[in-house]
Amino acid sequence: MRIRKPGRTAGTVVTAVLVLASALGLIACGGGSGIEGGSSTEAEEVKLENEPTGSLTISNWPLYIDKGTVPAFEKASGISVKYIEDINSNEEFFSKMQPLLQEGESGGRSIFVLADYEVTKMHNLGYLQEFDKSALPEFEKNLTASLKSPPFDPNRDWTAPWQSGMTGIIVNKELAPEVRSICDLFDPKYKGKVDFLNEVRETVPLVMKCEGVDPSKATEADWMKAIEKIKGAAESGQIRRFTGNDYARDLTSGDAVAVIGWSGDAVQLQADNPDLEWRMPTEGCMLWSEDMVIPVGAPNPTAAEAWINYVYEPEVQANIAEYVNYVTPVEGVKPILAKRDPELAENQLIFPSASFTKNCSPTPPLEGEEELKVIKAFDAVLNG
Amino acid sequence: MSGESTRARTWRWLREHAVNIVAGLVVLYLLIPIAVIFVFSFNNPAGRYNYTWVGFTLEHWAHAFGREDLTEALLTSLKLALLATVISTSVGTMMALALVRHKFFGRRAANFLIVIPMATPEVVMGAALLSFFLILGSPSLGFETLLIAHVMFCISFVVVVVRSRLIGFDRSLEEAAKDLGATAFTTFRLITLPLILPGIFGGAMLAFALSIDDFVISNFNSGTTVTFPLYIFGAAQRGIPVEVNVIAMILFFATVSAMGFVTWQQRRAEKMASVRPDQEEIVVVPA
Amino acid sequence: MRRRIVPYFLLGPGTIWLVLFFVLPLFYMAELSLWSGAVGSFEFSWHWANYSEALELYDSQFVRSFFYAGAATVLSLLLAYPLAYAIAFKAGRWRNVMLFAVIAPFFTTYLIRTIAWETILSDESPVTEVLKAIGLAPSGHVLATSGAVIAGLTYNYLPFMILPLYASLDRIDVRLIEAAKDLYSSATQSFLRVTLPLSAPGIVAGTLLTFIPAVGDYVNAQFLGGVGNRMIGNVIQSLYLSQSDYPSAAALSFVLMVLIMIVVVVYIRFAGSEALMGEEAR
Repeated sequence: MRIRKPGRTAGTVVTAVLVLASALGLIACGGGSGIEGGSSTEAEEVKLENEPTGSLTISNWPLYIDKGTVPAFEKASGISVKYIEDINSNEEFFSKMQPLLQEGESGGRSIFVLADYEVTKMHNLGYLQEFDKSALPEFEKNLTASLKSPPFDPNRDWTAPWQSGMTGIIVNKELAPEVRSICDLFDPKYKGKVDFLNEVRETVPLVMKCEGVDPSKATEADWMKAIEKIKGAAESGQIRRFTGNDYARDLTSGDAVAVIGWSGDAVQLQADNPDLEWRMPTEGCMLWSEDMVIPVGAPNPTAAEAWINYVYEPEVQANIAEYVNYVTPVEGVKPILAKRDPELAENQLIFPSASFTKNCSPTPPLEGEEELKVIKAFDAVLNG
Repeated sequence: MSGESTRARTWRWLREHAVNIVAGLVVLYLLIPIAVIFVFSFNNPAGRYNYTWVGFTLEHWAHAFGREDLTEALLTSLKLALLATVISTSVGTMMALALVRHKFFGRRAANFLIVIPMATPEVVMGAALLSFFLILGSPSLGFETLLIAHVMFCISFVVVVVRSRLIGFDRSLEEAAKDLGATAFTTFRLITLPLILPGIFGGAMLAFALSIDDFVISNFNSGTTVTFPLYIFGAAQRGIPVEVNVIAMILFFATVSAMGFVTWQQRRAEKMASVRPDQEEIVVVPA
Repeated sequence: MRRRIVPYFLLGPGTIWLVLFFVLPLFYMAELSLWSGAVGSFEFSWHWANYSEALELYDSQFVRSFFYAGAATVLSLLLAYPLAYAIAFKAGRWRNVMLFAVIAPFFTTYLIRTIAWETILSDESPVTEVLKAIGLAPSGHVLATSGAVIAGLTYNYLPFMILPLYASLDRIDVRLIEAAKDLYSSATQSFLRVTLPLSAPGIVAGTLLTFIPAVGDYVNAQFLGGVGNRMIGNVIQSLYLSQSDYPSAAALSFVLMVLIMIVVVVYIRFAGSEALMGEEAR
């Protein structure tokens, strides 16, 4: 807009800005109370004494904890907890947080729970804090041996596993009784009734296993070949859609009869449809962990450490394990659960035996140029 | 044969009423999902997934606000919609007044500025605003950025609604007030405002409806703030609680009543507008 | 002098808001689309390759979006016209009830409406059985196909088609139609030569109000689509919000906006501009 008379324009602008300012004043008044919850945690002063106090905000995935643990922790520690279930995807959560973390802020949160590869990325960008190990005796003592020194954090200096799990297949026993392997998912009999996960690090390695390739030794060509196979199945209409947790919708409504899915989910899904069951693929599964991390700018890291230590007490962890049905990273839980419910202690999904997971693979390393290429190729399949 | 003629008659009846039949079917098409939402608000799913009919219960209506996170999201949405409505309606009404009542340089440009957001897909608006906030390095995506966004996309609609009301405005009442010695402001307060109020109400209602329902632009600019639609989107991953259906229906009935009220207001204003100064005495008290 | 300031004073706040939070962000997005690098280390560098790469990678999603939106617009027009016509000329005392039915969907949340369609079109539902029986589900299911996405788009934007159509039909002087009937005697002809041309502004406005948001939509494809049904909105959304690939996402948004502008300008040239700009914008 060109306006010819500068004198008048200036006057208009001044009045306009005044009006706008009063409008913004309105926002400030209204907005102030709107973010009450967030700002009160943010304003919390970091206490330097060792006794954790104050409040703690935790971001976790939905339905990833029993109802009792948070109140019990509040009672035991005197810390008030705001437990937010706002993580639905590793990438999405990172994207939401990244601009904040870049500024050294954490959105008032002191704990995130994210996948191994996602926390590695955040650590590389300098977005995470190291633990004060002296505050974590239970964690030091009870962390399962097999998880003690992963390649990305050999001393567990900045990650503490929340839960581990297995990615395999979830089937409807009535409608797809003979699906037992990843390869079976490509059976034309189930055309349009199969969902695959939209997670490149889980779906593609599983398909490699179907092709007889060991994901931990896979070359770029192996990745591309597996992606090509998935692409073929997508184009032929074999795969109905790529999903996250929402495969549950398709399974419970009967729209899908077999999917690539997570071990803990299936148990919870049985409430909706008793025919659903998680199966270990004959080719083996993918093993993963999701870790608690303390971001930079966390308002109350001491309380965060108190929380990590607390959930590593076997008694506490037993309650969580009993509810979520994922593989627990804490030693000493099995005897406790055995007393409560012997069947649960024998559940291979919570306490998988070495023979049960013998063919399973950890999340394969995927970095640098190769990572970019693989993700791009997989995205092209997702986008059709 | 009588059968033949019945058939012919039926055929003719169908042809005559074809438009109405199709219209009826389209109305059905428009209302079916709402009926489904309503019915499933009484469902009693065994687990987390409210997708197949299991059984009837009033439980979720009784405890509609029993889920803390959902209620919090709803309150955020209501507060956001209320603020966005107040700001966009005041600002939009002023713009509409300028556009209809005044001839001035830059009017075309102003018109263009108002139309163009309505002709931009939401995803582009959301993305542009996010780019803006990202580059400015404003780390605090949240309620404030949501409010900025919501006011932005509501303004145009308010202008259009209020403007349409102003165009059909009988200015003789205002002139009469001025003749009687009222100042410009008094005239506005006592004559203009009451008469265009239904239009402003309409604009405000539209703004409220747009704001409370917005998902796309909010998804881009919400940061970690959760509104009602954003809650639903998140919950869709893990199973949408029945309470969402209940709250959706409560919002539906509330909006319907509000609309009824506005219609009633409008009728009243129309009656008022049809009253001419020469028929009834109008008292204009100069301030 | 004072009076001349008044309109600028009235326009001021709104204009500033729109310039600051609509126009300016578009420039910022243009800048962002020329960045290069990765998360944490983005920098401005006139990286035009973002555009060529984006177009190369996502050309099929662009084509698909315009096709879905076009199909939804045509379907909406076919469904909306009889309804708008009935409301304008035949509804009588039912008019308000029918108008209410048209705007009722606005009063329930967009996402929930779309998810309701997920339930309605689910594989085991009676609606799907019927569609299968009449051969409208060649792949054996309706949900997770392009048909479901187009149906969802049609449903969600239908009111935007009906309302302007109704407004323009309602404005038609019935005597004109009667006169035409007297002269031409055929109902079809009077419709084609009188009613239809007179409702043209409504058609133009309705098609634009349906087509533009439908092209950029990603909610319908997300919930009702399956493999191979993602639209450009889904891509932009996922690049921005989950992959943090802001430059590509910005470039795609820009291309989308320009393509829509081109379609709109061509269409308006072809169909006349009054409908979009409103009456006093001439």
